[in-house]
Amino acid sequence: MEAKPSSSSPSTFIDQLVVPGDVILDLSNLTNQTLKLGGGLRQDGDSICVMKAGKLRFMKPNKYWVESSQKRYVPSAGDNVLGVVVDTKPENFLVDIKGPALAFLPVLAFEGGTRRNIPKFEVGTLLYVRVVNANTGMNPELSCMDVNGKAAEYGVLKEGYMFESSTGLSRTLLSSPPHPVLEGLGKKLSFEIAVGINGRFWVNASQSSTVILVGNAIQKSESLSLVQQKLYLEKLLKSINSD
Amino acid sequence: MEHRLANSLIMTVNERKFIESALLSDVRVDGRRPFDYRSLTIRFGSEDGSSEVQLGQTQVIGFVTGQLTQPYRDRPNEGAFAVYTEFSPMADPSFEPGRPGETAIELGRIVDRGLRESRAVDTESLCVISGKFVWSIRIDLHIIDNGGNLVDAANIAALVALSTFRRPECTLGGEDGQELIVHPPDVREPLPLILHHFPVAVTFGFIGIENTVVIDPTHYEEAVMGGSMTATLNTNGDVCAIQKAGGDGVLQSVIMQCLRIATVKAGDITSKIKDAVESYNTERSLKKIKRHKPDQQGSSDAAKQQMERLTVSSDPSGIGTQHNEHDKTNRRNNTLKSFSGGPASWDPYSRGVDGDALRTSLASRVTSLDTQKEEPVQANPEKSSSKSLDSSSFALTHEVGLDIKQSKTLKDAVKPKHKRRNKSNAS
Repeated sequence: MEAKPSSSSPSTFIDQLVVPGDVILDLSNLTNQTLKLGGGLRQDGDSICVMKAGKLRFMKPNKYWVESSQKRYVPSAGDNVLGVVVDTKPENFLVDIKGPALAFLPVLAFEGGTRRNIPKFEVGTLLYVRVVNANTGMNPELSCMDVNGKAAEYGVLKEGYMFESSTGLSRTLLSSPPHPVLEGLGKKLSFEIAVGINGRFWVNASQSSTVILVGNAIQKSESLSLVQQKLYLEKLLKSINSD
Repeated sequence: MEHRLANSLIMTVNERKFIESALLSDVRVDGRRPFDYRSLTIRFGSEDGSSEVQLGQTQVIGFVTGQLTQPYRDRPNEGAFAVYTEFSPMADPSFEPGRPGETAIELGRIVDRGLRESRAVDTESLCVISGKFVWSIRIDLHIIDNGGNLVDAANIAALVALSTFRRPECTLGGEDGQELIVHPPDVREPLPLILHHFPVAVTFGFIGIENTVVIDPTHYEEAVMGGSMTATLNTNGDVCAIQKAGGDGVLQSVIMQCLRIATVKAGDITSKIKDAVESYNTERSLKKIKRHKPDQQGSSDAAKQQMERLTVSSDPSGIGTQHNEHDKTNRRNNTLKSFSGGPASWDPYSRGVDGDALRTSLASRVTSLDTQKEEPVQANPEKSSSKSLDSSSFALTHEVGLDIKQSKTLKDAVKPKHKRRNKSNAS
């Protein structure tokens, strides 16, 4: 087995592929420093070990986590997700966010929410929500307000169709150089899209054929490389024009 | 309670509405038209009688096995067959381990009925001794991934597995001529089953208030549809079985229309199955043929020994070519050895070994080999290659014997590289 160069700083591993067992950080010569570990990392004695395969990410000043593409979503506070109402309780809505447990959406977590005006959601309503709390062993808590207590863009999504994707695809759809297929389609067609980091995206347009085209194009683009995506997009746009 | 909720398919109101409204303009969520079938892929396992069918996202594995059993008393001349289904919880979280659920039983019954009622499998040919021994065929269907329309996928998997299954040949023999002998597959070629025709299941779903008909529904459409109909037909257009599930009533004219469409689809699927099975059979028969070049028979001994020594016996390529390769490499190695025989002090393997002793042993070997080697090659350089090959291989056997006695030398370290180069040259 080849041992990776174990250095005291994990900078050599940042944005690199890591696999379970990799030691990214030796704590023995690090003192007076606080580290925050995210998913996929574990402290093992005096070292920080990787627990799952993926890319190691770092955020200043001291946050480390491993990012990978998977079907199951691991809730974490601050994420914007698409949830489906599964059940209504007097205090909470039970919402499925593709996580290991159903999430709670308190009935008062809406802008100007009081006991008087509790929204009525039937089972199967699609919501764009924010994860407020996510602790292990507890059901995650959701909210339909931003940090300032405003409704912002959160709330019910009407019409349209919700497509499933992997968490990796969702992340690329939201990343800052925009997803080439999404960008290209956006220039030609008019549609609405809402992407949840939990591996769901919702598309709406005036014509159902547009919704289907956009949804399938995005789903298909996941397995393509950048060059292939461009070719695929060109082909797609040609077929749209010829219609 | 919560566990239940997490396991069932969660469909939003939006999705239900969208599937219905999109169908009104003749499109489906995966981009198909109402009467488009998903792409069908048929693969085979390593053994006879196994199949892997992929229909869109749905994946089913079929496996057929045979066993000698006593026949049913009322049908002493007929073999038996049975269909068993296995729904893995990995395929769909709503499948629970343990007892087969409603859908599992329904699936097994539909496949079973299609094959049994139409007499697609010739059960009489499965009889070995009337009333005593018949072959009973067991069809196992494993659902690997549920992407909707499991019935069609499972039915195709069963047909493919049945058409590649082979049972061992049985004869009566022994001292009194009454003993049953089951010939192992390497003694006598196993026999395929006799299939009279392929009953192919084609499923339709009826969605929405207007009962819009779709073929090959996905699992989202299955969650929405009010009813479904599975028609089992063969290429001749004979309807072997029909299963109508769900509450929604369907007009007679719609059923007739479905049957017409199903006949066309059944034809397509049957030709796909036949093509796949045919290519499997040719591949299978090609595997049986063993190729020998008669003029290299004499040197095969040396080659065999060498193969053992080099432990490349796992390479299944033809013996003849491999022998040639070794011959070449050996010749090259010999020249190399005569070059490196003198300064053997940098030999990586000689660490910790008496250098002088090794040097003398190496030197003696090289000289003896050189004389052996040079003699035949130089004596008849213009003679046919086969002869020189033979004589050189004779020299080879000597060398191999020597090598076995010797511990590892530089030669062993150099060998793999040359071998690789030769292989790349050959290919």
